[in-house]
Amino acid sequence: MFERWNAGPMALMLNGLVALSHYLFGSFGLTIIVLTIIIRVCMYPLNAKQIRSSQAMQALQPKIAELQKKYARDRQKLAEEQMKLYKQSGVSPAGCLVPMLIQMPIWIALYQSIVRVLAVVPEGLLDLSRYLWSWSVVYSVLPLDNNFLWFNLVMPDIPLAVLVGATMWLSQKMVTPATTDPQQRSQSQMMLWMMPLLFGFLAMSFPSGLALYWAVSNVISMVIQYFVLGSWGSLARSTARKPVVADKKYLERIAHIEESAADITAVEADIVETSSTEAGDKRQVGGGYLPSLRAIRRQSKRSKHHRPKRR
Amino acid sequence: MGIKHNRRLLAKVWLLLVVLLIIGVTVSGCYGTSKTVGWSGAIIADDTLFLASVEGKLIALNTSDGGRLWEVPLGTSSVAVYGTPAVAGDLVYVGGYNGKVYAISSSVGAKRQVYPVDDNLEPIVSGVVAAGGRVYFGCSDGKVYALNAAELYQEWEFPTRDKIWSTPVIDGETIYIGSFDRKLYALNAIDGSKRWEFETGGAIAATPVVYNNTVYIGCFDRYLYAVDANSGSLRWRSAVEAGKWYWAKPMAYNNVIYAPNLDGKVYILDANSGGEVTGAIDLESPISSSPVVVGDKVIIATEEGEVYSLDTTSHQKSLPLIDVREEMGDIAKNTDRKIYAPLSADNGVVYIHAQTSKQDVLYALNARTGVTLWSLSLTIE
Repeated sequence: MFERWNAGPMALMLNGLVALSHYLFGSFGLTIIVLTIIIRVCMYPLNAKQIRSSQAMQALQPKIAELQKKYARDRQKLAEEQMKLYKQSGVSPAGCLVPMLIQMPIWIALYQSIVRVLAVVPEGLLDLSRYLWSWSVVYSVLPLDNNFLWFNLVMPDIPLAVLVGATMWLSQKMVTPATTDPQQRSQSQMMLWMMPLLFGFLAMSFPSGLALYWAVSNVISMVIQYFVLGSWGSLARSTARKPVVADKKYLERIAHIEESAADITAVEADIVETSSTEAGDKRQVGGGYLPSLRAIRRQSKRSKHHRPKRR
Repeated sequence: MGIKHNRRLLAKVWLLLVVLLIIGVTVSGCYGTSKTVGWSGAIIADDTLFLASVEGKLIALNTSDGGRLWEVPLGTSSVAVYGTPAVAGDLVYVGGYNGKVYAISSSVGAKRQVYPVDDNLEPIVSGVVAAGGRVYFGCSDGKVYALNAAELYQEWEFPTRDKIWSTPVIDGETIYIGSFDRKLYALNAIDGSKRWEFETGGAIAATPVVYNNTVYIGCFDRYLYAVDANSGSLRWRSAVEAGKWYWAKPMAYNNVIYAPNLDGKVYILDANSGGEVTGAIDLESPISSSPVVVGDKVIIATEEGEVYSLDTTSHQKSLPLIDVREEMGDIAKNTDRKIYAPLSADNGVVYIHAQTSKQDVLYALNARTGVTLWSLSLTIE
């Protein structure tokens, strides 16, 4: 298995990085930054879908609360109804994990590539030669310089680890929903701090090259989130807007969704009545989203062009 | 309840992913190569063979039967040695990856001098060469050092722009050495002044060879260069591009250059023109160990542990003289035993230092017949 991994994804990543370094003045740090941008651009559709799905999940919360009240004593029925609601609205609760799952092999291949490409010991450099493909650019640029900015890409770096944690916190904060429920707020806070601390810790244990990937990736995440959401999300609310305004907006949204309860019932009825041949039409018209969520999507798309002025 | 349940589930899945990531990179790290072991070559003087073991000891052996004369640990902890030691007078010199050069009594194995005394240089991968009352070596700090052989103090240093892993070669009063900065340097051995420099297309880790007033050097750009030893001008660049890096020192014999490559082939080139004398001989395993010439044979070892003899007239390879992975007739007994260290030869006997990351074995082989005269485990079991 390891041989297949080494000959496949790892060799691809390793040779790609070395070849890219050739065109980036032999700077491996610049190479990691450009690679991160390429990967994130390729994953943009997935990320955008994940962010919208996450927003839709937030919008569904009042409806879910209703279901919880309705089926408080029947957990199985509650679960069924929740899944039905997710399905109807085109929301996947595990959707946000897909980009991370896709990135995990990239992280592992990148880690191995950094260790191998920036081989500092003779055994490492000899080992590297096994994985090189016969491209002239690959051979002419090696061995690469380990230094980038103030850090050595092979060694862990504490300031960079702090940067990883900080950028991840900001990125998470942007998409953390404002809530008045103290329990939900404490859970959101836990999620908000847990990942940055974990990745900060990981960054202190692994080569700086991997930490550089994480830091740049977090910044790109923020940019993507800004374009998809049309604002800096909770980050803007926490810094520029008072909590009261956020609560008001949130309450308005709840009211808006509750208003469309009738629509939801109608859609549910439609789904029951719709034959399998008509399923494609339904997708074309509504994209699988509830009318209220469609309204949010429309608003979100509009806001790309008319971003609200922030105080 | 449902939202909380989902959030808890999500938190657990995130945690699981992070734990998986940690396990993934940790396991993959086990397969990484950041540990230094070393691959010291052997030098023979007055029927005594000196080499460093993977345990970081300098060992003196009797060449007739492999009897251990003495051994001395180089540091308090294991020191990796990549270069071949040098002998001058009654001292053996060896450079360690810990950035120190040791001068040890060749008769009793007692440490006489250490350079530098208090601190350490950057790692020394280059071999040490002793000549004219000086000891020369290259260092990972990019400098060539010349030390007084008797007292081990620095006489001069010459800076290059990148690491030096290449071992210096001395011809008359000139030192030739390659650097990772892609240049081959010719320095005055007396005062370290530069005579000339020649820029190649890639980093240089291999040791050059001087033959017929020409310096031959293999590079990471996969070409072999022939440079005029006096002027530093290019005589030729090999017409054929090798598959991988040139790591081992080439060998010159009878106007032919034998250049082993990490692609597993030995390129046989005309010393005057650089043209191929015959097609490359494929040994099917990377060659990082420098070959030796014994009689009219070139003895070459592959990383996978097979040792071949190349006839310099017919340019045909023999069947493997020995496979160091074999033990008691079982070919797969020592699959992880490799040959990285340069070969040594004396009186028709080839010495092969084979190793794993934890133990090493020295073989003495009759170069003509391929018969193993003796073998010795250098690691104390």
